[in-house]
Amino acid sequence: MIGSGIKRGTAELAVLSVLQDGPLHGYELARRIEQQTNGALRFTLAALYPMLYRMEQQRWIRGSWETSTNGRRRRCYRLTPAGKKKLSPLRREWAELFRALERLTNVAHA
Amino acid sequence: MLDWQGIVRQRLSGLALDPAEKDEVHAELAAHLEESYAVFCKQGLGKEESARRTMEQASDWQDLQRRIIAAKERGHLMKKRVQQLWIPGFLTFILSTVFLMTLQKLGFRPRIIGDGPNTILFYVPWLVSLPFVGALGAYFSSRARASRATVLLASVFPVLALTAAVLLMFPIDMVVERVIGNHVDFSIVATDLLKEGIGWLLVPGAALLAGGVLAHLFFSRRPSSQHMAIGSETTHA
Repeated sequence: MIGSGIKRGTAELAVLSVLQDGPLHGYELARRIEQQTNGALRFTLAALYPMLYRMEQQRWIRGSWETSTNGRRRRCYRLTPAGKKKLSPLRREWAELFRALERLTNVAHA
Repeated sequence: MLDWQGIVRQRLSGLALDPAEKDEVHAELAAHLEESYAVFCKQGLGKEESARRTMEQASDWQDLQRRIIAAKERGHLMKKRVQQLWIPGFLTFILSTVFLMTLQKLGFRPRIIGDGPNTILFYVPWLVSLPFVGALGAYFSSRARASRATVLLASVFPVLALTAAVLLMFPIDMVVERVIGNHVDFSIVATDLLKEGIGWLLVPGAALLAGGVLAHLFFSRRPSSQHMAIGSETTHA
């Protein structure tokens, strides 16, 4: 079973990575992550918003209300300079972890 | 058309946040559900099925409510601590220090109590001003809805800061004296500390606390308009 720390870490990385392309509102953010990971990462309402609020408190992302072309008001999240700074070490850490796991599983299969 | 805003407001009615922030969360989650429902409908699902799938996204609303509060509170804790303790505390510290320095500049002489080496100095006008300074600190802390302990801590903050400084300086001073070869009699230092403690910590602390307690008693008896608004909202819910 994947621990909550790992789950949280991957989710945060996913959000920061997707927001790097531009601001998005919660629903669109979840949809993009699901699409780009071929459904491997799927966010429910209960998982997404507490995480976005936590990341907002950490000042990695910033939310602001915007009105779309169809007149709907949506709270859009964008990456802050602190979030951008957080992204590269986070990517490196996860890449290292996946490489380590890959090596481990290869050894186990050998 | 389903009233997503109403649904979210009802399910997350116990969201213990500021009213404006609570409305924002309700609006944001409702917008998410509305969009989700619209997408399911576009995919050709019936209205009932679309609504069911949309609602599946948050099966446990109590848990969601808890998680939202926990996420929002994390940042608020720090902000609250600053508003309830640090700002009122530093205000009392600065006011009391500036007033004392002004008295000294103006040439006010301290009142000397005791004889010979066992004298304690008191700046009477300064001591008289301290209950007001303590009350001001308590007022600002109370206004930020601090607990009683935090309000009283904010009112005696100058003395706490001074105590910390004395406790830090005392061992450093002892070590320095040893290093430079001065023989220091511990009993003399302890007596000096006690005298200074009474004159600069104990009596000013009591004066600040007296003002803080009185202000806290006064302000805690007056219900704020914000409290009344929250009370009426709970009744209607």
